[in-house]
Amino acid sequence: MDARNTQDLILAADVLVVGGGIAGLTAAISAKEADPAVSVLVVDKATCGFGGKANKGGGNLAFLEPDDDLDEMLRFRVEKVGSYLEDQELLRDFLSGTYGVLKRIETWGCTVFHDPDGAYVYVRYWEGHPWRMALCEQDITESMLRQAKKLGVKFVDHVSVVDILKDGDRAAGAVGFSIIDGRFYTFKTKAVILANGCQNYKLMRRWASGRGDGIAAAYRAGAEMRNAEFGSFINWVFADTKEVCQGAENVLYNAKGENISKAVRPKIEADLDSKEVVAWYKAMLAGDGPVYANMPENEIAAFSQKAFHSDGVAVRPITTAFWTRTIGKAMAASTKPGPMQEVFPGFIGEQSPVRVDHQMATTVPGLYAVGDIAAAGSAWAGAVPAPPGRMRGGGMMGAMWMAMRGGPAAAGYAATAGEPAVDAAQVEALKARMFAPLGRQGGIEPQEMVRAVQDVLSPVGNTIYKSDARLRDSLERILAIKGQLALLTADDPHHLAACNEVVSMVNSAEMFFVASLERKESRGWQIREDYPERDDAEWLKWVVLKDDGGEMKVWTEDVPIDRYPLKP
Amino acid sequence: MNRIELDFEACTGCGACFDSCFVNVFRWDDGAGKPVIAYVEDCVECNKCELACPVEAIRVIPDYAGVYWPPVI
Repeated sequence: MDARNTQDLILAADVLVVGGGIAGLTAAISAKEADPAVSVLVVDKATCGFGGKANKGGGNLAFLEPDDDLDEMLRFRVEKVGSYLEDQELLRDFLSGTYGVLKRIETWGCTVFHDPDGAYVYVRYWEGHPWRMALCEQDITESMLRQAKKLGVKFVDHVSVVDILKDGDRAAGAVGFSIIDGRFYTFKTKAVILANGCQNYKLMRRWASGRGDGIAAAYRAGAEMRNAEFGSFINWVFADTKEVCQGAENVLYNAKGENISKAVRPKIEADLDSKEVVAWYKAMLAGDGPVYANMPENEIAAFSQKAFHSDGVAVRPITTAFWTRTIGKAMAASTKPGPMQEVFPGFIGEQSPVRVDHQMATTVPGLYAVGDIAAAGSAWAGAVPAPPGRMRGGGMMGAMWMAMRGGPAAAGYAATAGEPAVDAAQVEALKARMFAPLGRQGGIEPQEMVRAVQDVLSPVGNTIYKSDARLRDSLERILAIKGQLALLTADDPHHLAACNEVVSMVNSAEMFFVASLERKESRGWQIREDYPERDDAEWLKWVVLKDDGGEMKVWTEDVPIDRYPLKP
Repeated sequence: MNRIELDFEACTGCGACFDSCFVNVFRWDDGAGKPVIAYVEDCVECNKCELACPVEAIRVIPDYAGVYWPPVI
């Protein structure tokens, strides 16, 4: 192991943005646009402008044209998707703001495609339905990076932010370390915006770099969490390559040749749902597996050609090159070509529970959260894993829309808040904790613990088709892993970052199981074998979590349904 | 485990691969002015380095069969 750079560095700014992906860059730019006098610093664990999901996705941006039927879209979301667990006011703001987001990012140099008449090119799952997806190029975050630099935003790459500094109740900055040379960083800032993604547990590993570092930092800083029980997204994957099989959810067949999708998904839906995963689980338990995707019947796969490659709709060479390499290599490596492809549910997570208000402020003053980290916590999406909240194209759009609120809000806070005091003893304690695994003898390597966490989360019976007994057993296993975190060992700063990721994963998993146990009903993505019905009389509630002196405190809050236009 | 092949002769040392990697597989050899494939075990076959290289000096060879997957049932 090379010697760690022990020259500690202190950096100051008005606003610190953690995460240089689409949400962080949007927040940084819009903070500067709101108040050019506010200094903004963006820090990323890898490279600003290249992290996150936006440059590895379909480049689909959910939106409504100004004269689209907003009420119909709202009703669709609430009744068919989020199941009345949305903050309907925030959802309405979001839906009505999407068109403006497209217009605004174009002024930043981002490519969004238009038809010859100037209207946005779009793809749509159903004609006659308001939901559209505009198309951008996959270099969107690189365009944003250039714009942010033009506005004077500063950047720090390859630094993993581990904890939020506090001055009393308020945020006072953050601490982290360089994954290159182990140098310790203190960021002294008036406001902090967390934009470093949701929890993906490193299983569907290309899906995102989000390992919940920001979620765990916010939790340790005392921020409340909401909707953590919906953090169990899956996607269907090919059994041989583990690559995503788009559209498998609609064309699942058991080994007897029977279609098992039709009973639960009689028609195409906005995105995956947990109900077809349950159908798969029951088929497997009944001995009717393996389950196959009937590719010739796969309408979404054909649709995805348009939505993801979209050369027929908008020529996107960067996006097309990415999908050609990733999917193309997987297809070439397929060991079992043919119309019937064995598939299984690949666990992803996408837990995004940091609770924020309409200005993207967490419950810790001066601490904001935008994008994937707070998608479910903001409650715009309701009882579903978010992003994209069972609305393809909703992830990127949601991230940008949230950041366009949170960036200016944080800038406004920083402009009026006084200089925070940074407590040296607090910094030293956090530093000692973060570096503890480095060079620890005879400990457990992070990869071993990652697998232990994945082993608990991957089985469908633990995370999708839930029961009291299985949830309790899973929570016990996670708590046992938690008890071993003090044994983590790292031989260099790169692996030290992996240690922090494991700590974050365990924190997310504990939240998931605690919240899932609390919600004694089935709603949206949560399906309980022991509470199979939706219970509107008892459970129009949000499950909220918070650290309480080392214990995970859980309680419920009524959704203010009387205030909202749509009621069950 | 994935493999990453780097043609050091063709590599111009522009750093595009280093910047493009979101899981920090690369380190930088200041002396040689070239990337080092330091943590290939963390490669998630996003292919961004391969796509970023202006002289096609880098190639990602995914090992799909070697991907760890826990039980799903």
